[in-house]
Amino acid sequence: MKKKLLTAGLFFFIGFSLSAQEVDLDKMLDDEMEKKKKSQVELAAATFKSTRIINGHSVESTQKGILDFRIQHRFGTLNQGAYEFFGLDNASMRIGFDYGLSDRLSIGIGRSTFGKQFDGFAKYRILWQSTGKKNMPISLTWVSSLMLQSLRNPDDGIKRNFSDRVFYAHQAIIARKFSPAFSLQLMPTMVHYNIVPTATVPNDLFAIGSAARVKLTNSIALMGEYYYQLPNNKLPGTTNSLALGVDIETGGHVFQLQFTNSTGMTERTFITETTGKWGDGDIHFGFNISRVFTIKKTKELPQQ
Amino acid sequence: MPYKIISHFAIIILTVSISSFVNTPVVFETTTGRIDFKSVAKLEIIKASSAELVGLIDIDKLNFSFSVNMRSFKGFNGALQQEHFYEKYIETDIYPVATYKGKIIEEPDLSKSGTYAVRTKGMFTLHGISQERIIKSEITVKDNKITIKSSFKVFLAEHNIPIPKVVNQKLANEIAVDVNAVLIPR
Repeated sequence: MKKKLLTAGLFFFIGFSLSAQEVDLDKMLDDEMEKKKKSQVELAAATFKSTRIINGHSVESTQKGILDFRIQHRFGTLNQGAYEFFGLDNASMRIGFDYGLSDRLSIGIGRSTFGKQFDGFAKYRILWQSTGKKNMPISLTWVSSLMLQSLRNPDDGIKRNFSDRVFYAHQAIIARKFSPAFSLQLMPTMVHYNIVPTATVPNDLFAIGSAARVKLTNSIALMGEYYYQLPNNKLPGTTNSLALGVDIETGGHVFQLQFTNSTGMTERTFITETTGKWGDGDIHFGFNISRVFTIKKTKELPQQ
Repeated sequence: MPYKIISHFAIIILTVSISSFVNTPVVFETTTGRIDFKSVAKLEIIKASSAELVGLIDIDKLNFSFSVNMRSFKGFNGALQQEHFYEKYIETDIYPVATYKGKIIEEPDLSKSGTYAVRTKGMFTLHGISQERIIKSEITVKDNKITIKSSFKVFLAEHNIPIPKVVNQKLANEIAVDVNAVLIPR
């Protein structure tokens, strides 16, 4: 009987010590948060702050329901000297509107002084960098654009077709946000010319671009963008486009200041038709202003 | 001898069942708690909500631990504002969660049904800055569920979230927060 009681007491003690085990709420909470994180997809936010690096597109597309009014402005070149006030007397610009149809799909139109050109584009984010349930190391965006030059034909008796005024560009933009302060992207690009000046120049010109963003403070970032035209994919007399600048972000604006050797601001005009050389001082000071308007509000969680 | 073994087993079963009775759940849990916040400034009202509050209450020791992924807040007056909330104000890449961990000051018996108005005392952490807070809450126990309701204020300045001059008419320093959650035994 004594033995029995002892055994019972032992079991009771074991059972009691099991139930009285320290409950570690913080650890349980961490486990639950971890579980939740793994069951959800978290998309990388703001790989770049703007839908443009400087001249060209970034991997970001305009968010759903947002209308983005953009003015891109380039002064003349610094080497024009004091008489032209180091380029400030001259200007090349593009005015455009972008609109986000969904969080992944956006469209835009624009008008540039360069070649009195109209342009339109569609942009779709195919892959979105994410962590959690779906681990995606990169983002991938496709941009296709059409450019229409409306500059009058010279009165030289040569017959020209309407199609000679039309250009196309396609870009695959591959980007990764490595840290909150550093993002990088690569942009393989093809620009199509319906007509090229000489038979030795192909109608499809290929280039590879790269761009980076380094965040300095919460509202200021350094930006750089370079397009390398592949060998034998160049129009005569053109150079590679290089642009360096800063992004300054305030409430609903992103203000970009930059130096670039390109005059135009569409794929065809800056990737394949840049003629300025940095070494010769053919550097344009310029700025991009973006003002966004919320046309459609983001979805709220339903009320309880 | 067989009788002895049987009685032996009976005692073992009895003690195990007693100890498992002692083992009734003391921890209640939610993973879908709701948080609504509202900033009322001169020129703009900003609202956002999350339904992903994770929280645990130990009804025996009356302590608790809550956490929410700041990226789960949706709403706002536009996608850009939402992005600014994540990127510039909360800095979710660095401070992904807000937490509130502490103890219930009063000693309600949360194993019994009823509604209890209590004060909670704990560390409230947002944007990497912890503040000791006393937050009032209403706890309702019914049908083996614990419902909590709480309204309190968060001051952005206390959490080192500066309001840039250009938006000081659009963003209030004082943010009104409502919490509603139903916790079930874990």
